[in-house]
Amino acid sequence: MSMGHTASTEDTVGGLTATEHRLANGLRVVLSEDHLTPVAAVCIWYDVGSRHEVTGRTGLAHLFEHLMFQGSRQVTGNGHFELVQGAGGSLNGTTSFERTNYFETMPAHQLELALWLEADRMGTLLSALDEESMENQRDVVKNERRQRYDNVPYGTAFEKLTAMVFPEGHPYHHTPIGSMADLDAASLEDAREFFRTYYAPNNAVLTVVGDIDPEQTLAWAEKYFGSIPGHDGKHPPRDGALPEVIGEEVRELVREDVPARALMAVYRLPQDGTREADAADLALTALGGGESSRLYNRLVRHDRTAVSAGFGMLRLAGAPSMGWLDVKTSGEAEVAEIEAAVDEELARFAAEGPTPEELERAQAQLEREWLDRLATVGGRADELCKYAVLFGDPTLALTAVQRILTITPEEVRAVAAARLRPDNRGVLVYEPTPNAADGDDDEGAGSE
Amino acid sequence: MSETTENAAGAGAEMTLHPRPTGGAARPWAFPAPERGALPNGLTVLRAHRPGQQVIAVEINLTAPLEAEPRDLEGVATIMARGLSEGTDRHTAEEFAAELERCGATLDTFADHVGVRVSLEVPASRLEGALRLVADALRAPAFPEHEIERLVANRLDEIPHELANPGRRAAMTLYSTLFPEESRLSRPRQGTAETVRDIDAKAVRDFYRAHLRPASATAVIVGDLTGIDLDAVLKETLGAWSGTAAEPVRPAPVEVRDSPRVVIVHRPDAVQTQMLIARVGPDRHDPVWPAHRLGVYCLGGTLTSRLDRVLREEKGYTYGVRASSHVLRSSAAGDGFSLLGIRGSVATDVTGPALADLWQVLRTLAAEGLTEEERDAAVQFLVGVAPLSFETASAVAGALADQVEEELPDDYQANLYTRLAETGTVEATAAVVRAFPPDGLVTVLVGDAKQIADPVRELGIGEVEVIGA
Repeated sequence: MSMGHTASTEDTVGGLTATEHRLANGLRVVLSEDHLTPVAAVCIWYDVGSRHEVTGRTGLAHLFEHLMFQGSRQVTGNGHFELVQGAGGSLNGTTSFERTNYFETMPAHQLELALWLEADRMGTLLSALDEESMENQRDVVKNERRQRYDNVPYGTAFEKLTAMVFPEGHPYHHTPIGSMADLDAASLEDAREFFRTYYAPNNAVLTVVGDIDPEQTLAWAEKYFGSIPGHDGKHPPRDGALPEVIGEEVRELVREDVPARALMAVYRLPQDGTREADAADLALTALGGGESSRLYNRLVRHDRTAVSAGFGMLRLAGAPSMGWLDVKTSGEAEVAEIEAAVDEELARFAAEGPTPEELERAQAQLEREWLDRLATVGGRADELCKYAVLFGDPTLALTAVQRILTITPEEVRAVAAARLRPDNRGVLVYEPTPNAADGDDDEGAGSE
Repeated sequence: MSETTENAAGAGAEMTLHPRPTGGAARPWAFPAPERGALPNGLTVLRAHRPGQQVIAVEINLTAPLEAEPRDLEGVATIMARGLSEGTDRHTAEEFAAELERCGATLDTFADHVGVRVSLEVPASRLEGALRLVADALRAPAFPEHEIERLVANRLDEIPHELANPGRRAAMTLYSTLFPEESRLSRPRQGTAETVRDIDAKAVRDFYRAHLRPASATAVIVGDLTGIDLDAVLKETLGAWSGTAAEPVRPAPVEVRDSPRVVIVHRPDAVQTQMLIARVGPDRHDPVWPAHRLGVYCLGGTLTSRLDRVLREEKGYTYGVRASSHVLRSSAAGDGFSLLGIRGSVATDVTGPALADLWQVLRTLAAEGLTEEERDAAVQFLVGVAPLSFETASAVAGALADQVEEELPDDYQANLYTRLAETGTVEATAAVVRAFPPDGLVTVLVGDAKQIADPVRELGIGEVEVIGA
């Protein structure tokens, strides 16, 4: 293993530092000390997400993530959960377009257990994986899909918007939850193959943050992970490059049993890791990031056509980021009227850019969000992993907020002018349909 | 589990296996002891310095329970709480929002049965500016007519969204089922369309004048206070709020209607059934609380608790089912209670079998009790996880503010861990069986009645009523 560089304490949030190391099998290990609270966070990012999935197997990366909690060679059944929680820790895993992460936050004296557990499943998962857990977790994930997307009003909007901004066949065209048909089709052999292909020490970053002894922690990393063989069987994801703008407006009208009309839109934005992405984040914050934003003032306060109006940004590193507009109408307001107002505000912003006060507010909001993310050892571990996996250098996480604070009004204006245009968006309009069978009780009256 | 062994690289190398490590000695940690004081205007202040926590959390409790709302203007506490940030004697509504965001702050307000809560989060360097705005909002809110009108319209717009959300719908139906019509608890916290539409600026100002006073308010301030002269900041901000003490509102006794029955809210073509299975139980003043907390965790606190072990990890009926308690009323006088609930959603076509299994879990628990191992694991988790749960300033501030709201002593949370560790399996079993007796639960299901009503009737868990069909 070789020692990496140490971040300068200057210009990092709260003087935080991190060091990077690499084991002989290719596992990168990132360590960051913080002795204020006796807790330690372990986070592993595997460089695999839904963008690596192939046609007919959408949702496999996420289903596989569930299987990682079903036991490994030395861990029976739900042992991962039982052992971590029994030690006073908390744990989970998540899957996104670009990566899969697993994390435990432990009382500091139980750190070694979390490392042992993560190593056991990285090295020996397939010795425990069987049909029974596959069938069970397939049903669990299908219920997750129902609960989070299919059984809630507007629940599939994100999926529809994603498909509009990334064309058919693009690795980001489908979302991590996948389709019911593909979840049904996934086989145990698919899961095994997925593990063999992507779950290797040289396709992962392990980060440990908190009340730790770095030398001891590195020795434990070597002891538990060091003998797991690396391999180069990984398939790179299909190329996510796309033109900066879509070139034409894509539009879909959805007639569904939703409580109110809605206007949603998605814009193709610059990739994460660039100044342009930071500028876009500030533009979306000034336009739709809070109760002093332009769209909130215009639609909710002045026109009174909307009950909520906001912009959010999903930063992506391997494809254009997504800027997501979500407006729910007030009373009987028509979507066309709202859309005209949004276009007017976007055009004005593209022409004039933010005022100095608007930029200051947007920067202050994003700064607080960063401080929040770094306020816990778990949040810090996740950000260090992100910057190590996606941008090659974990310490970039500790200076990210400084970069946002150096963005100029002209950069914000320029990215708005280049990207927040009608020919660079997918538009999703919801129109409620009265459900014939839905008599509803008196409280529900007036939803139409 | 399969006996075959494979490894990541295929043939050849195997990783070296090591025995499971046992862990070192626990490092000391204690829930922060707040310093309690008061400002000359009577406002109580609790502060806790948390080194390294750069985002300061301020929680302000205002003694304005929903029970104090006029019956025909329910929702007025909510509109008032939201109206606090819609302009003051120094700023218009838009200016106020802009100034607050310039501080990098977030401000949330919520009116609940126990009172109104104002929550501020702000980077330490901008605490004074943000606290000045919050103090203005409490001291001299403008409640402009046109802004109140808009808040009322927005609130009316929100109601259909809440009714369309299966979880919210289930909760609203449960409250109206469990509590009698004359109780404020039976009706939505934020009012109904009928009551909200009649709220105007005058009603809001009346409610504000009657109930918001510094003498009955408490501010909890938590975070890295290094270099901040908090006394000076408080004097200039919350200290400038004046007012006489208000008459405390003592809530009326409530008769709970918890005889077992099932209410199905018909949601045509729903792909899942949202379940809420509930009754009323102890608040945190009750000496049984640590046993109750332990027992309820063993039943449904996590993925390896009894409910999910069967419903999720064996049967795959659900993404997850949880059992929990939410304090609805609490006082040192001992007349408090909480809502105990089992929540989750299950696929529509397995609603009957899932409920049958759920009841079987409860019956087995009542018949056989918890095991020593379950109790031990629960104690280890609930006690061990404390330093993790209270890493952030907002988590600590929230817990302290809850204690204030529930009239619990400032060292309640700190002592709870010792009490949990002293609680045995027998007490935990008794508490959870009393909390969720198989023959004493009210069940609300939001789902497709055409598909689920018949299977549910066959379970014998109470008479079934279908509404909204």
